[in-house]
Amino acid sequence: MRRLSLRTLGPTLLGILAFLGVLAAIAGRMPLVLLTLVINLLIFAALAYSINFITGLTGYVSFGHVLFMAVGGYGLAYGVGTLHWHPVAGVALGALVSLALALGIGAVTLRFRGVYFAIASQVTALAGFYIVLEVQELGGGQGIVLNVGFEPIAWFYTIWVILAIEVGITYWITHGRLGYGIRSIRADEDAAKTVGVHAAALKLVLFAISGLFAGAAGGVYYWQGSGIFPNEAFSLTFSLIMLAMIVIGGMGTLLGPLFGAVAVYLSSQYFLTVLIGFEFVIIGVLVVVIALFLPEGIVGTLRKYVPELRGLIE
Amino acid sequence: MADFVALFLTDLVLGLLLGCVLAVIAHGLNIIWGVAKVVNVAHGEFIMLGAYGAYFLYLYGGFNPLLSVPIDAAIGLVVGMGFYFGFLYRELRGKESMGLQSELVTLVSTFGLSLVIVNIAQSIWEHPVGILWSPGAAQVGPVPVPFGGLYVAVVSVALIALTDLFLTRTYLGNAIRAYTQDIPATQLMGINPTVVAAVGIGMGFSVTMAGGALLTVWLPTGIDPTKIGILYAPISFVIVVLGGPGKMWGSLVGGLTIGLIINVGQLFLGGSIALATAVAVLTLIPILLFRPEGILR
Amino acid sequence: MSEPVQAEAPPAAPRSRRKVLAIGIAFLVILVGVAAAAVYYLTLPTPFGGTIKVGFSISLTGQFNVEGKNSLNGIKTVLNWINGHGGVTVQGKVYNFSLDYYDDQSTPGNIGTLYPRIIQNDNATFLLAPYSSGLTTAAAPLADSYDKVMMSHGGSSDVIWTGSTRRNLVEVLSRASIYLKGAVDWLHANHPSDKIAALYAADSFSTFATQAALGYAQSLNMAVVYNQSYPTTATDLSTQLTAAKNAGADDLIGGGHYTDGLLIMNQLKTTWNAPPPKFVSLLVAVTEPAFQSQLAGSANNVTGPSQWETAVTYSPTFAQSAGLSWYGPTPAEFTQLYGSLNNGDVPAYHAAEAGASLLVLANAIQRANSFNTTAVRAQLGSMHIMDFFGEFQIDSRGLQVAHSMVLVQWQAGAKKVVLPADIADGSCQYPYSGA
Repeated sequence: MRRLSLRTLGPTLLGILAFLGVLAAIAGRMPLVLLTLVINLLIFAALAYSINFITGLTGYVSFGHVLFMAVGGYGLAYGVGTLHWHPVAGVALGALVSLALALGIGAVTLRFRGVYFAIASQVTALAGFYIVLEVQELGGGQGIVLNVGFEPIAWFYTIWVILAIEVGITYWITHGRLGYGIRSIRADEDAAKTVGVHAAALKLVLFAISGLFAGAAGGVYYWQGSGIFPNEAFSLTFSLIMLAMIVIGGMGTLLGPLFGAVAVYLSSQYFLTVLIGFEFVIIGVLVVVIALFLPEGIVGTLRKYVPELRGLIE
Repeated sequence: MADFVALFLTDLVLGLLLGCVLAVIAHGLNIIWGVAKVVNVAHGEFIMLGAYGAYFLYLYGGFNPLLSVPIDAAIGLVVGMGFYFGFLYRELRGKESMGLQSELVTLVSTFGLSLVIVNIAQSIWEHPVGILWSPGAAQVGPVPVPFGGLYVAVVSVALIALTDLFLTRTYLGNAIRAYTQDIPATQLMGINPTVVAAVGIGMGFSVTMAGGALLTVWLPTGIDPTKIGILYAPISFVIVVLGGPGKMWGSLVGGLTIGLIINVGQLFLGGSIALATAVAVLTLIPILLFRPEGILR
Repeated sequence: MSEPVQAEAPPAAPRSRRKVLAIGIAFLVILVGVAAAAVYYLTLPTPFGGTIKVGFSISLTGQFNVEGKNSLNGIKTVLNWINGHGGVTVQGKVYNFSLDYYDDQSTPGNIGTLYPRIIQNDNATFLLAPYSSGLTTAAAPLADSYDKVMMSHGGSSDVIWTGSTRRNLVEVLSRASIYLKGAVDWLHANHPSDKIAALYAADSFSTFATQAALGYAQSLNMAVVYNQSYPTTATDLSTQLTAAKNAGADDLIGGGHYTDGLLIMNQLKTTWNAPPPKFVSLLVAVTEPAFQSQLAGSANNVTGPSQWETAVTYSPTFAQSAGLSWYGPTPAEFTQLYGSLNNGDVPAYHAAEAGASLLVLANAIQRANSFNTTAVRAQLGSMHIMDFFGEFQIDSRGLQVAHSMVLVQWQAGAKKVVLPADIADGSCQYPYSGA
C-alpha cells in the first residue's frame, strides 16, 4: 500500500488541484464577467472529463454523449419545475437518472466494438430526442422554463465540486490498480480478457461514471440557462464539442480534457466578435490535423517530443 | 375501417418510395464500408453537397434532380478519390485490415471533416433552398402516388443494381472485391491495391452524391445544411448495419425496412413521426445483438 | 543480434533534442499566450462615450442566424432614425444612442457570459433581449439581478413571464398564445360550425401558439378534431394530413417554420385535395415572399399571422383618433430607411419588432426624464402609445397586452393584410380552393 503524500500524487494532479483551489478561493472576489466565463469553462471541462472516461480511457468513441447532458438537464428541470426541489437537488436527480440510463444503455451497446458502438451511441441519442418530444411531463416540444434566479456563486461551487470529484476519479483510474485493467482494454481488449481483466464490467462502470458526470454538468448548464428546450438540448453540437475537446487535449490523459476545454471553450469566445461563424471550421481543421498527425493530442504530443515534460504532465 | 385501410395503403406506398431513396443515400456509405472497412462520419455532409449540386444545376441549368444524378456522380468520383488520398491512404497503406487504432483515427478525422464542411456550408448558404420540381401524382384507388417519388425510386434501385453488376461482372469490379477479401493476394495477381481502393471509395462517394441529388425530391423545400447531415447520416448507418455492410442489395433491404417503419409505424403510434423515427433507428440495437451480419445472409 | 538492436535505438542526438524541446516550449508558450490573451480580451472594458449605451446579444450564427440578422438590422434602422431626429432629451440635455452587441451563436450558454460583460465591462445602461424564447429565458434573470430594463423583442412564449416573476423584462411584441387567435376569431364569427385540425412543429414557440389557439377555439365551442405535432426534421406529413381530413376537419391551422410550412402546402395537393381544407392558417411561412413564389397559385387564400407587415396603416392621425400619442417613424418611413441602409431589402417582422423595442425604450426614457431603471420601468408600465409597429401597453407582469397581431392572406399573388379591419388593406377570402 502506497502512502498518500503530496509527492506521490504527481505534479499534474497537484497542478490541477492548485488551479481549482485558486479558483475556489477567489471566486467570490472575481469580477462577474470573469466568474461567468470560469463557470462555463468548468462546465465544459466537466463534460470533457466525462467523455474521457469512456472514449479517452477505453477507445470506445461516443458520438451521442449529448444524451446524458440533456437527461441531466431534464432531471434538473423536472426536479425544480415539477417537484419544486432546490436546484442542487435537481442537479443530483439529473445525474442519477443519467447514471441509471447509462447503465441500461451501456449494458447493451458496450457489447459492440469500434464503429458499431459509435453508431449505436449516436442512434440512442437521436431516439432519446424523438421520445422526449412526445413526453408531455417534460414539456414535449415546448420545453420547460424554470423560476430560478441569477446565482453565479451557487453555479460555480456546484460545478467546482463536480469537476473536483471527476478529476479525483480520473486520477484514481489512471494511477490505481483499476487503471491497469482499463488501459489494457484500450490496448487490446481480447488479450486483456485472457489475462483475467473483467473487461465488460469495467467498461460498464466507466460508462456509468461517464453518464453520471455528463448529467451533472448538464444539470448545472441548464440551471444557468434557467430552462431547457429539446431542439437545442439534444443538438449534436454538444457531442461534437465534447469529443473535439478530448481529441485536441489528449485522450485518456489526466490533463488533456482540461487543456482541451481551455483550448476549445476560451477560443470559442473570441469567435463571438471576431471571425464570427468560423469557430467550428477551425475546430474541425484542428481535429482533422490532430487525428491524422498527432493522435495523442496536446498532452501526448508534448510528452512524446519533450522528454523533460514527461515527469511533469500526464 | 375503410379509412384505416386507405391510410395504411398510402403509408405503405409512400414508405416503400421513401425507403428506396433512403437505400440509395446509404448505399454510398455501404460501398465505402465494404471496400475499406471504414465508416465515413462525414457521410451526411456529402449527401448535403450532392443535394446542393442538384440545386445549382437546377438553378443555373434548369436540370431536374434526375438529370443531375450523372453529373453529381461524376463529381463524387473525383471527391471520393481525393478523400481516399487525404484521409485513408496513410491508414490503409500496406495493411491487411484496419486495426482498432486506425479505425479510431478515421472516425475522429472524418468527424472533424464533417464539422468543417457543415460550418462552411452554413456560413455560405444561410437560407434553406429548394428545387421546385413537381411532376404531379396519380390517384390509384385511395392511394396518391407522387410521380417524383416514383421516378426517384426507380433510379435508386437501378443505381444499386448497377453497382452490383459492376462489382460482379467487370474486371475492375472483381479486383475491388478481391481487394476487400485479401490484399496481399490481390497484389500477387498484379493489381495495384492503391488504384483499386481509390476507385472503390470514389464509387462510394459517387453514389452518395447522386443519392443527395435524388433526396432533393423528398425535400421539396428545404436543403438545409444544419439538418441534412444530422438526420440522414445516422439513418444511413442504421440502414447499412441492417442490410449488412458490403452487401450491395443489403442497402435496399435496410432502406425499405426503415422507410416502412417510419411511414407505416406512425399509424400505430398515434400519428407521431417522432416516435416512429425513434423506433426505426433503434432497430439497429436488436439487429446488432441477434443478427450482426445483417438481415441478408 | 544485439548490435542491430543497439543501432536501431541510438541515444537521442542532443541537437535534435534541443530542437524538439524548443518546439514543445514554443507550443506551450503559444497555448498559454492564447489563453491569457483570451482572458485579457474578454475582460477588457470598452470606453464609455457620451451616449446612452444599449447592450444585447443577437444570433448572427447558429440556428437563428437569419432572424437574428434581420432583428439587428431593424434595431440599427431605428437607432439611425432616433439619432437623426435629435435623439432623446433627458434633464434638458440631448443624448444619442449607441449599440453594444455580440453574437451569441444561438446558444443559451453564451448568454450567461455575454450579458455580464455587456453590463459590467461595457457599462450598457439599458438592455435588449436576445432573439428567441429560449435565449430570452436565459437572459431574463440577469436583467433582474443587475437591475436593468430589458426589452424583449423575439421571445414571445407566455411562459417566460407566467412561469417566473420578472421585474425588468418588458415585452414589446405580441405573445405566442395570441398568434393564431385572430384566425380563430374570424372563423368563429363567420363559420362557427367549422371543425378545426391542428398540425404543428414540435418546438417551443409553435407548440405554444397552436395549443393556445386550440384552447381558445374550444372555449368558443368550436370543434377540434385533430391535434398532432411533428419534429422539425419531418420530410413527409401525408399520413397526418390524410388523418386530419378523415377526421372530418374543415380547417387547418399550425405549421412552424418556412420549410415545413411549404411541405404542408405541397402535400395538401396530393393528400387533402378534393376538396381541400376550407381555411388554412400557418405560422411564419406564409409571411415570407418566397412562400408565394414557390407555391404560385396554391398560395392563394392561405392565411398566416404576423407581428407586423409593411402594409399596416398605423399613423400619427390614427393614433390621435384612438387617443394615443405617437412616437417614431411611420411604417412607410421605417421601410424606406431600412431599405436604404440594407441594399433595398424589405423589412421582415423580426426587423420591425426588434426596432420597435429600441423605439419604445427611447420614448420611455424621454418620458421618465431619467436613466434610472425604476423610473424608466415605471414609465413602461404605465404608458400606452402607438408607433410604426402598433400599440404598446403592458400588464403588471411585463406581458404585452395592446399590440395587435395582423393576419395576412395571399390574394392573386399579392400579400394582403386582412385583419384587424382598421389597419387592413383587404378582406379575408374563404374558402381556400387549392389553386
